[in-house]
Amino acid sequence: MTFSRSVFALLVVALVATGCSTTDNEPSAGALPTTDAAAFETLISESQSPMVVNLWASWCVPCRSEAPLLTEAHRQLGDEVRFIGVATEDAQVDAEAFVAEFSMTFENYFDRNGEVKAWVGSVGLPTTFFVAPGGEVVSTVYGVIDERRLALEIDELVRR
Amino acid sequence: MEFTLLAAALTGAAGAWLGLRIPAIRARTEWIDKPWDALIGAAAIGVFVGRVAEMIGAGVNPVTNPFDVILIRGGVDTAAASLAAITTLAWVYRSEFMALDALAPPALIGLAGWHAGCLWTDSCLGTATGGDWGFTRAGSDVARHPTELYAAVGFLLLAFVVSRITTPLRATGIAIAGAGAVRAVTQPMRPSLTGGPLWAYLTAMVLGIGIAAFGGRIQERRARVRPALD
Repeated sequence: MTFSRSVFALLVVALVATGCSTTDNEPSAGALPTTDAAAFETLISESQSPMVVNLWASWCVPCRSEAPLLTEAHRQLGDEVRFIGVATEDAQVDAEAFVAEFSMTFENYFDRNGEVKAWVGSVGLPTTFFVAPGGEVVSTVYGVIDERRLALEIDELVRR
Repeated sequence: MEFTLLAAALTGAAGAWLGLRIPAIRARTEWIDKPWDALIGAAAIGVFVGRVAEMIGAGVNPVTNPFDVILIRGGVDTAAASLAAITTLAWVYRSEFMALDALAPPALIGLAGWHAGCLWTDSCLGTATGGDWGFTRAGSDVARHPTELYAAVGFLLLAFVVSRITTPLRATGIAIAGAGAVRAVTQPMRPSLTGGPLWAYLTAMVLGIGIAAFGGRIQERRARVRPALD
């Protein structure tokens, strides 16, 4: 019984300690630029680089889970692959706070009316799609994406 | 948990269950109290701890975002999960380490099943290969290693080897070291942004070899001390 109490106490201390970790919840200094379906289609069709496009929302729990992975992937592969985030079905101030919280360094847009999400044909969030230079959507992953799948899809994309 | 991931988990569980039904292994596990419960419990605790570790590593606070824990697809820290599962089994059978030897083969067969579960989640393929044995994804002409199937075969072979070891705690040690080796060998063929936790696999290999080499002495010491206590 003593051991159980010790483990419980240790668990509480660990959880409190992790709960004390600081995160910057302040919105980023710059507001997210807004986009719509037409502007977004133009954006990706004019890109000369392969692209990873992630649709997300600040209220979406799986989006929170994959945000650090996308930020890390951009840090590693940002020179060869263009990462684009699109906040959709969200409040702009919350979306900006999300970008700041996860220190997202890649370009992000705010899809005010959910047009980009409709254009992609996505029914849920998150959705990640992989686009060849020129705008052809090569593959789409619905739901949270893991490191293995992200690395595999990017590898397929750059080998085209 | 999405359906395909659940199917992969059930495949792993079915592997462990089948391992406990193999006569040669069953003969060694019949004296163990509820081996199935112990294996499933250890696996569940391992996944939970691994998921929390992954969240902390990614900067997601598990206290303020408790529901993220169920997003297994978001990533599970392999090292933390393995450590938690092994520790759980060791704790459950702390009074009789020989149970760990008996449970090592079904645990490895369960791991083989978990890797073969990639067939449900469409996640078997790894890095590109020029070999004829490569598989291609639908809509792609890039041949790739069936990496997770390699790992599954590796775990099955390891289970066979471990099931034939009779020296106390050596089976456990070889199982841990071998599992680390299987993962380390297949890791370069696994698509990854970070290179994977190679350090954890190497640590498992060193730890496993240590247990295999010195575990017998622990068991002997216990055998000497126990009669004296009785």
